[in-house]
Amino acid sequence: MKRLAYRLVGSVILVWSVFTLTFFLSRLAPGNPFQGDRKLPPEIMRTLLSYYHLDRPLPVQYWEALKKTAEGDWGSSFKNPGVSVSDVIGKALPVSITLGSVAFFASLVIALSLGLWIARSKEPMTSVLRSLTSVWVALPSFLLASVLIEFLAVKLPLFPPALWEGWRSIVLPALAMSIAPAGYLARIFATSLKDTFQSPFYQAARGRGISSFRLVVAHGVAPSLNAVVAILGPLSASFLTGSFVVESIFAIPGIGRVFVLSVMNRDYPLIMGTTLVYTFLLVGMTLVGDVLGEWLDPRVRAI
Amino acid sequence: MTADPSSRNLRRSLGIVAVGLLGILIILSVLPESVTGLDPVRQDTRLVLAPPGTENHLLGCDFLGRDNLARLIKGSGVSLAIGLSVGILSTLFGMLWGLFSGYAGGFSDLFLMRVLEVWYALPELLIATILMLVLGHGIVAVIVALSIGGWMGVARVVRAETLKIREQAYLEAARSIGVPPARLLSRHFLPNLVPVLLVLLLFRIPGGILGESTLSFLGLGLSPPASSWGTLVNEGWKALPLAPWVLAFPALMIVLALLAFQWTAERAGERWSR
Repeated sequence: MKRLAYRLVGSVILVWSVFTLTFFLSRLAPGNPFQGDRKLPPEIMRTLLSYYHLDRPLPVQYWEALKKTAEGDWGSSFKNPGVSVSDVIGKALPVSITLGSVAFFASLVIALSLGLWIARSKEPMTSVLRSLTSVWVALPSFLLASVLIEFLAVKLPLFPPALWEGWRSIVLPALAMSIAPAGYLARIFATSLKDTFQSPFYQAARGRGISSFRLVVAHGVAPSLNAVVAILGPLSASFLTGSFVVESIFAIPGIGRVFVLSVMNRDYPLIMGTTLVYTFLLVGMTLVGDVLGEWLDPRVRAI
Repeated sequence: MTADPSSRNLRRSLGIVAVGLLGILIILSVLPESVTGLDPVRQDTRLVLAPPGTENHLLGCDFLGRDNLARLIKGSGVSLAIGLSVGILSTLFGMLWGLFSGYAGGFSDLFLMRVLEVWYALPELLIATILMLVLGHGIVAVIVALSIGGWMGVARVVRAETLKIREQAYLEAARSIGVPPARLLSRHFLPNLVPVLLVLLLFRIPGGILGESTLSFLGLGLSPPASSWGTLVNEGWKALPLAPWVLAFPALMIVLALLAFQWTAERAGERWSR
């Protein structure tokens, strides 16, 4: 309980630090969001700046923004006046979460089966499989996405090459996002499984002569899962990064694409909104990972 | 690791392959422009998207009729230089942070670690992308953004190693005969950290390469007409339906470079962590 409170305070500090950093970094950037393709007359520029309070001293702006953000008013997009940041995020987030969860479960299934295969195989198969996973980890998601589009959408039109319409359009982006994390996860799971296979409790269970299915699943896989659960936080980070790239390539209207576009457009409120949503997701995933880890493995609880 | 001889041989040969690959990449990236005899920015409208094997253009041309090979050689130099700089800078910064944190202990350690946790919670690319807002789109900007985005892992490992060294008998001996802190750091901590630092560096370099190519691919990193693997892949991606080879060569280079560094790093880690 005390640890949970400690974690909660830490999360609030994290969110606040991210807010502060993002705020000052985006304000330090040269230029302002209205210096675009058309040159605006100076008086219009002044009106715009004062309308958005961008002409006030930075500390004042910071305090106002912090107060408003904490109250839940995330402002409206600079590039699309009248469209509130919450609306944009409200529309984009479900898309990203759908895609992210499908990709997450895909990578989990791939990683667990591959990890089990690696741990139970013999040399030289183990090394071959391990090298395969390092190729996966080294494969940038934008390359995988391009290759998938070229072969499974253009040459062989099985799936749509872009956009977000129906379940078919989930397959390719989810695959592109899940391969690298799956490789990473499979390595960790395989190492953990190998340790478990050599541990006394596993050998004892084996000595009792229980069925090999129960042996592997209940005494091998279950205790090895904590290694997987422990990296849920970093793993969700890699899905975030994946979402920037994959959503941009497949033109999927999710948070990743909104973030990349808002950075290109210097749309401050939208940059802030998406960054904060990312931070919430990261904090949430890490917390879920820790709680799951304790529930799965009593050894962690004791510490 | 297992002492199985066949597995050890396999790993060893993989290591040799990786180092060989690294050598080829480095040689390719420092080749002078005169090797192809072509200017990487010269455009020839008659040769737009020419296929590989076109006369004088071994790897064909891009969408503006520029020679792919010349651009690839130039881009390899840029990408490897960025990867190396990011690796060195982030390793150095992480080393200083971790070393100080572990050596000082007490309140400074606690404070530095809390700050580190804040940074560590954010993905490298998120930090780098936001930093690119301030820094612009040059090579130096990309290097700085990715270095600030990715030093945290190094700091954690270095701190853990420093704590381990602090508990060693030789350090207690040195301290008890009155060796001053500066000399403790330079003669006892640093030499013992070198193997770990080299492995960390080898892991950070591909991180930098991947970071640059991802940023540039998204259009947030280097901007044209600069060439790097990322910008080349970006251009190749746009021409993909018409001329897949424009994408294929830089893509191959990225994958080979990442694998070469990763395998070398893994092998080095196995050898030096004994």
